[in-house]
Amino acid sequence: MKKVIVVLAGWMLLALTEPAMAHFQMIYTPDMALEKTKTIDLKLVFTHPFEAGHTMDMGKPEQYFVVCKGKKTDLLPTLKPITWTSLTNSGLAYETTFKLRGMGDNVFCLVPSPYYEKEEDCYIQQITKMIVNTVGFPTDWDAEIGLPAEIVPLDKPYALWTGNVFRGIVKGDGKSVPFAEIEVEYINHQPLSDKNAFATKAEVKAPQDAFVTMTIKANENGEFAFGIPKAGWWGFCALGVGPAKEHNGKEMSQDAVIWVQARDMK
Amino acid sequence: MFNGKILWIGVLAFEIFLCSSAFAHTPLCSCYDNGDGTVTCEGGFSDGSSAAGVEMRVEDQNGKILIKGKMDADSEFSFDKPSGPYKVIFNAGEGHVVEIDGKEIVE
Repeated sequence: MKKVIVVLAGWMLLALTEPAMAHFQMIYTPDMALEKTKTIDLKLVFTHPFEAGHTMDMGKPEQYFVVCKGKKTDLLPTLKPITWTSLTNSGLAYETTFKLRGMGDNVFCLVPSPYYEKEEDCYIQQITKMIVNTVGFPTDWDAEIGLPAEIVPLDKPYALWTGNVFRGIVKGDGKSVPFAEIEVEYINHQPLSDKNAFATKAEVKAPQDAFVTMTIKANENGEFAFGIPKAGWWGFCALGVGPAKEHNGKEMSQDAVIWVQARDMK
Repeated sequence: MFNGKILWIGVLAFEIFLCSSAFAHTPLCSCYDNGDGTVTCEGGFSDGSSAAGVEMRVEDQNGKILIKGKMDADSEFSFDKPSGPYKVIFNAGEGHVVEIDGKEIVE
C-alpha cells in the first residue's frame, strides 16, 4: 500500500514538473504607443511566447472589437486567417489591419473560440485585451469593458519604462477575483510581422522553469502588481476567472489576458 | 483700497492655480485629411482633459491667417483644406501651442 502511494506521488511529481509553459493569446502589433495615427498591423496568435513554442490552431473567434472613446466597433469581419510559425511547429492564426483615427486609446478585445487542449482534456478560452494609444491622449485605457474575464489596468499598459510596476485588477463576471492566480510571460522571441513567425534568437535565458512562466497571485481585492525587469512585451493571464466553467461537457478555463509594452529609458 | 487688495490677491491666486494646473499636462493635437477636401483636427491635454474652446488657426507659409476658429465641444475642429502649403496652430496659451505642418496631415 505504502509503495503504491509512493509510486503515485512520484507520478504526480513527474506530471507537475513538466516544463511550465503557459498558453498565451496574443494580439500583437509592434508599437502600443504611437506618435501619429496610421494604419497598424495586428496578429492574433495563440502560443507559448517565452519559448516561441507550440502554436495552437485558433478557431474562428467569437468576438473581436475595439473600444475608443466609449464606442465599440466590431472588427470580426476584418480578420484573415494566416499560419504562424513557431520554433517547433506552425499553427492557424489571424491577422488584420486597423486604421487609427484621432487621438486616444484603442482597446482591442478578443474573445477567441474555446480551444480544446487534448493533453489536459479541457478547453481554454483566453479573453484578451491590448491597448494602442495615439498621440499620448488618454481615453479608455482604464475602462472596464465588461468582458466575462478581464484585467482592468491601473497603469497605462503602453506607457511603462523598464523597471516600472504594472498593476491591474482581476475581474470575473464584473467582480474582482480575490487571490486570483496570474501567469506572467515575456515575449522572448521577437515576433516578425512580415514573416508571420517568431525570431529564432532568444532575448534572455531563464535560469530555471519558474522564470519561464512566472506565477503571481492577486491580493484579497483581486489587485496585483508586477515590476517590469526588461523592455518589451509582457503578458498577464489570470487563470479560470471567467464564469464559464464548462464547454461541450468538458471543463473549461476562461482566462483574462492583458499585454503591456515596456521601454528602456535612454 | 482694502477690497482692491483682496481682489488683486484673488486674481494672483487664480493665476497661480491656472499655471500650476497647466504645468502638469502638455497640449496634444492631431489632424487628419478626411479625403473630401476637408481636414479634421482633434485636441486635448495629456491628462485627458478636453480642449473645447481652444483657439485654432490655419496659416499659410508666410504666417497669414487663412482660417480661424475654436475647438468644438468634442475637442474637434474641421476646416476646408487650403490649396497651397499651410500649417495648423493649436493655441492653448503660452507654452501650450502645437504646430502641425500641412504636409504631415494625411488621410
